[in-house]
Amino acid sequence: MSDFANEPVLELRRASERARCSEALAELEPRLPLRVPVAVGGDRRAGESLLSVDPSAPERTVALACGASAGDVDSAVTVASAAQPAWGRRDVRARAALLRDVAAQLRGRHVELAALEVLECAKPWPEASADVAEAIDFCEYYARQAVAMADGPALAQPPGEHNRLIQRPRGVCAVIAPWNFPIAIATGMTAAALVSGNAVCLKPAEQSPGCALAILEAFLAAGLDPRLLALLPGEGEVGAGLVRHPDVATVAFTGSAAVGLEIMAATATPRPGQRGLTRVVAELGGKNCMLVDADADLDDVIPAALASAFGFAGQKCSATSRLLVHARVAAAVTERLCGALDGQRVGPAREFTTDVPAVIEAAARDRIEATVAAAGSSAEVVRVADLPAADGFWVAPTLVLDPPAGAEVREEEIFGPVLSVEPVADMAEACERVAAQRQALTGSVFSRNPATIAAVAAVTPVGNLYVNRGSTGAMVGRQPFGGNRQSGTGAKAGGPGYLSHFCDPVVICEDTTRHGIPA
Amino acid sequence: MSVGSQRGRWATTRGRGGPGTAAGDPALEAEIRRIGRALARASAGGSLRARVEDRGMAWLTHRPELRAALFRTVDVAPACATPAELAAHLHAFLPDGALRGLLERPGLGRVSGPAAEMAVRQMAGRFILAADVPSAAPVLAELWAEGIAGTVDLLGEKTVTPAEGAAYAQRCHEALEALHAGTAGLAARPQLESDAAGPIPRVNLSVKVTALTPLVRAHAPERGREDARRALRELLAHARDLGAHLHVDMESLDSRELILELVLDLLSEPAFSDGPSAGVVLQAYLRDAPAVLERILAWARDPRGGAGRSVPLTVRLVKGAYWDHETIQAAQHSWPSPVWADKAESDRCFEALSRRLIDAHPVLRTAVASHNLRSVAHAVAYAESRGLGPGEVEYQVLRGLGDGLGRALARAGLRSRVYAPVGDIVAGMAYLVRRLLENTANDSFLTARASGTGLARLLTAP
Repeated sequence: MSDFANEPVLELRRASERARCSEALAELEPRLPLRVPVAVGGDRRAGESLLSVDPSAPERTVALACGASAGDVDSAVTVASAAQPAWGRRDVRARAALLRDVAAQLRGRHVELAALEVLECAKPWPEASADVAEAIDFCEYYARQAVAMADGPALAQPPGEHNRLIQRPRGVCAVIAPWNFPIAIATGMTAAALVSGNAVCLKPAEQSPGCALAILEAFLAAGLDPRLLALLPGEGEVGAGLVRHPDVATVAFTGSAAVGLEIMAATATPRPGQRGLTRVVAELGGKNCMLVDADADLDDVIPAALASAFGFAGQKCSATSRLLVHARVAAAVTERLCGALDGQRVGPAREFTTDVPAVIEAAARDRIEATVAAAGSSAEVVRVADLPAADGFWVAPTLVLDPPAGAEVREEEIFGPVLSVEPVADMAEACERVAAQRQALTGSVFSRNPATIAAVAAVTPVGNLYVNRGSTGAMVGRQPFGGNRQSGTGAKAGGPGYLSHFCDPVVICEDTTRHGIPA
Repeated sequence: MSVGSQRGRWATTRGRGGPGTAAGDPALEAEIRRIGRALARASAGGSLRARVEDRGMAWLTHRPELRAALFRTVDVAPACATPAELAAHLHAFLPDGALRGLLERPGLGRVSGPAAEMAVRQMAGRFILAADVPSAAPVLAELWAEGIAGTVDLLGEKTVTPAEGAAYAQRCHEALEALHAGTAGLAARPQLESDAAGPIPRVNLSVKVTALTPLVRAHAPERGREDARRALRELLAHARDLGAHLHVDMESLDSRELILELVLDLLSEPAFSDGPSAGVVLQAYLRDAPAVLERILAWARDPRGGAGRSVPLTVRLVKGAYWDHETIQAAQHSWPSPVWADKAESDRCFEALSRRLIDAHPVLRTAVASHNLRSVAHAVAYAESRGLGPGEVEYQVLRGLGDGLGRALARAGLRSRVYAPVGDIVAGMAYLVRRLLENTANDSFLTARASGTGLARLLTAP
């Protein structure tokens, strides 16, 4: 793994890089809407039943996709099942090499794909570029991990006995991916499953089929047998069909806790004809807290809080949604946060000057607004005043000051630009509030006392704790990402153990003595 | 003392202004060594306290764990409500060992908080001129009497709200007024107050654009630029009306484009064609610094830019104070580093830029800001070889780090200016820690000098 290095994100502080982005956008726009087929084996079926629009300008259609039918789901799994065994027997180095070719494909289209995310998901440029870079990282990282894992772990080897642990592919993996990291997460789950020897049926989010098509193109351009990766655009019933299919061995899902729990319930009982237990690798929601101690450097806290809470309009499972501030500095933090709030410019993702883009769809906007309205009945709410006049799914960045215990903004994942600011007596109380949650994905703590940092780290239930920095932006190979409790099944994407979730472990123990002849 | 009377002090036997003089020129190198030795002799000494502190700093350089513990204590001091809190931090910072054990003894534990607090104030006192502008005035007057001018930098916390930006601008306006009033009665010092291009203001204020606006975005320089435009324009107008010099500081690369564009843009406005005297900063540790200088020069020669102004733009040439930040940020993003990896490369770049700036005289005014004797001596020797009088190039040092050198430069009849931060210790903490780090960096000139590296080696071409 020594030669793994993260893919550089675009250095957008250089005007020349920003110019490349604008050019890519100008080249992409005339090609819209993209046509996204159902792709099973070598067959492609076009259709227009699904429509993805630009959240910053909803009159613009970014992609027209064919919705997969129940028949498509069934044939996709059948084709994948038939092709998988040979793929699983291929040398792991060949599968790893394919992943690195996929990385090269994505690398060559970095700016173009970032532009696509800007339009299809209203992902601002810096974050869109980070998403493409992360997709490349997943491919490069899992390629190396797969080769390293093939050797198996060191086992005790007494005389006359040989022990080894190998990993077997599980079969067909359903990948059900979200729209918020439209290329990285779908690519990461797909790459992990494929490099481990599985076949994949990919059900992308209905909001980002255009990005999903780019992923399929990258794998096919790298030479993947099309029978090993089906693309099944669609809404919930496509995912449900995959999850219930007896020949789907693994479900890799990233999304909401509600859907994640449904998947676990649906897969708990084997279907007729199903021999194995369906394994669910789930990455679910968060309710992430930033802890601010009295000795924190507030000059660092305020920008980190704004970026973690409002970056990409709070639509990251790692986003900060509660700020737990030591009472001694709570007034100062609140004043500075409120003062800084108006600097958060809401606007189209394509503008480099935008801080907070539109949210993904009208339904999301309405849901967030209802939550904010409810919060306003029991707490003071401070919001950005200026929203763009043009159509778009805008939501004003919002601070909710000291909401009471039990308030929705303190308990539920909002997935929008809303931050609850809560004074606490000390860091022990802050830790108690974190401990009381059922979500445990990310968290951060600002303190300059090593003893405080150690105390928080010792008790935190979260999967990723950040010290003196914001709670978002995990990097492959550096911060393996995933939550605990109801935030996930404990798999760490971009980390050393991730691929094992896509494999069945097999231990082979051989008696190597025969009439005293040593092997 | 006049500029004229000092002309001959470092005069060489070779002719002035000989073209083709460049780095590696043996005559220039000999001159650099001679000037460097003279400056070293003249800057030796200093107060006992400063010498003791320098020895302590040099000692710390080789004890990274202790250095980190002490600087972290300094950093957190203003955020601690009581000495006991500070003591608790100090205890937590220290590596396990004898020193930490000492603090755990009841007697020492009790006094360690107040002692640490005193030590922090002591250190701050060395690098920070005064807590506010009125109390800075007498210190600046003393320096003036020694032949040293000042530029005041108002320390502040990071600006994250518009109100904080407005408060900083207000403090700058008040500082301009206070400095104007405070310098009116000073005795005339011709070598500090004029050069061939004309008068040089007594009042000199260094300002930070990133303190004027909370909207600094590396990927969208236009946001900070437009937000700070009005405030900086008002400061320039105020400086013009008072006959003061306004110097716009440079910080990390993330804000460079915004600052440079804004300053050159504003100075091109007709309202500023006859003032104020103003300046920008060029950071030699940036690999693209030569291209930045060419851009500044092009502006200075453009009739719609600097050529349309009656006062030349001052360029303060520095190595740059954010090397660690730039290096770490680039590494974390897998970007090519924007700064030279090797200190010698920054030093060479500094000398090349010095020559380019001096060659451009009088289109630009040059202020050479370094504590590296070699870098300074090189600029002095080169300016001399180009036939520039000693008052034509300015030399700047930092308060607390280059005091001896600043005095030596003044005594040599050169225009010497000290960069003097003013503000309370809370606001000054980031500045203070940067200076402490600089003072104890392994490859810094000051560290090398304090640890006894021979003068001949220190004056060798980088």
